[in-house]
Amino acid sequence: MASEEKVQPQAPRPLGDLERLVMEQLWAAPAALTVREVHEQLSGTRELAYTTVMTVLDRLAKKKLTERERDGKAWRYRAAAPREELAADLMRDALDRAGDRREALVRFVGQVSDEEAALLREALSRLDAQEQSG
Amino acid sequence: MITPVLLAVLALVLTGPAPAVLARSNWPYRVPRAAVILWQAIALAAVLAALGAGIALSYSIAGRPGEPRFNPSSARDLVAAAILAMTALVVVRLFWAVGRVAVGTRARRKRHRDLVDVLATPDGLIPGLRVLAEETPLAYCLPALRGARVVVSVGALDRLDDGELKAVLAHEQAHLRARHDLVLEEFTALHHAFPRWVRSDVALEQARTLVELLADDDARRRNGPRPLARALVALAGAPAPEAALAAAKSSTVLRVERLAAPAPNERLLSSCTYVAAAALLIIPTITIAAPIVTAIVDAVS
Repeated sequence: MASEEKVQPQAPRPLGDLERLVMEQLWAAPAALTVREVHEQLSGTRELAYTTVMTVLDRLAKKKLTERERDGKAWRYRAAAPREELAADLMRDALDRAGDRREALVRFVGQVSDEEAALLREALSRLDAQEQSG
Repeated sequence: MITPVLLAVLALVLTGPAPAVLARSNWPYRVPRAAVILWQAIALAAVLAALGAGIALSYSIAGRPGEPRFNPSSARDLVAAAILAMTALVVVRLFWAVGRVAVGTRARRKRHRDLVDVLATPDGLIPGLRVLAEETPLAYCLPALRGARVVVSVGALDRLDDGELKAVLAHEQAHLRARHDLVLEEFTALHHAFPRWVRSDVALEQARTLVELLADDDARRRNGPRPLARALVALAGAPAPEAALAAAKSSTVLRVERLAAPAPNERLLSSCTYVAAAALLIIPTITIAAPIVTAIVDAVS
């Protein structure tokens, strides 16, 4: 069984990490940014190819996380929605236990009533008692 | 004429009373793995019996088995054909539901994963772990063939110590490894395949609870019952309004009480459950196959 537990460092996913960094730039910017502007801001902290930033922005557009518009010869990208809005979407999806969406995620626990909270504490103290006597 | 009636009765029993009785029993929680199989067998047998009833009815109306000639001027043959067509429609509907649920689930999960990837930060603790900056205590997994994610919120991390977190992660990884999402998908598809007035939530609901117990058992084997039970209680969160909850104990209470009880050896019970599941599948299959086999034998001899 222990061999199944692969506790090894995750394989590098540079694009995935960059997606997050690029989105953060877009969320922070007051207006839509060109690929060059995003590239300039990010290359302050790390070595980064211009084409990589282009790829990442393109991927984000395909995922409908960014929107782009023509500005002369360049594309300008903006976040499709404010961060808070996307976070709210995500939480709604994660917590939604009604109908169709319910099985999308297996939540760890559900909500309990006051009475059930008492039952939970009781069961837990039983377990603690076992542990001490055993 | 007796076969279609028996099969129809079996189908009705397996869609209504049998699931209701099983859902009220406590013993399935003692053998969650066998119980999931039994639920699957019940669902599959109900479908098979319903289809078998249609096929057998059309056979017995059309006359003797082994008379393959279809006569369009015979009212009996037309009725038989209509029944067969309706049976085929049920099959189509079933496949349609399976496909729709599979596509819908994957699309929604992909969107969710895209959001997680830009909103949550990776954590090297286990592969695929993402930490979400939300106060609501939350821990769940996003299954996928490749690149599954386990999402934990900051609110959950705040409430858990190291051992408890390890138990929670073991639980979620158990879901991912065993692909419990696929099991639930089957029940969801079946749920949608039935017309609204006959379907019930019971099977899907029970399957959800049972896969949680399976993941709990896995985490218990790895780290003992205590960290997981503590984590469950820590994350059970704000009490929900009483009105919003059913009279039955929530699965969280069931899970903690189960962890608090010593894990008994249930070999006999689980064997019996497996046998029952197998029998359920065999009965309608044989009943459907029997007239067809007889027909073939008649035709050959």
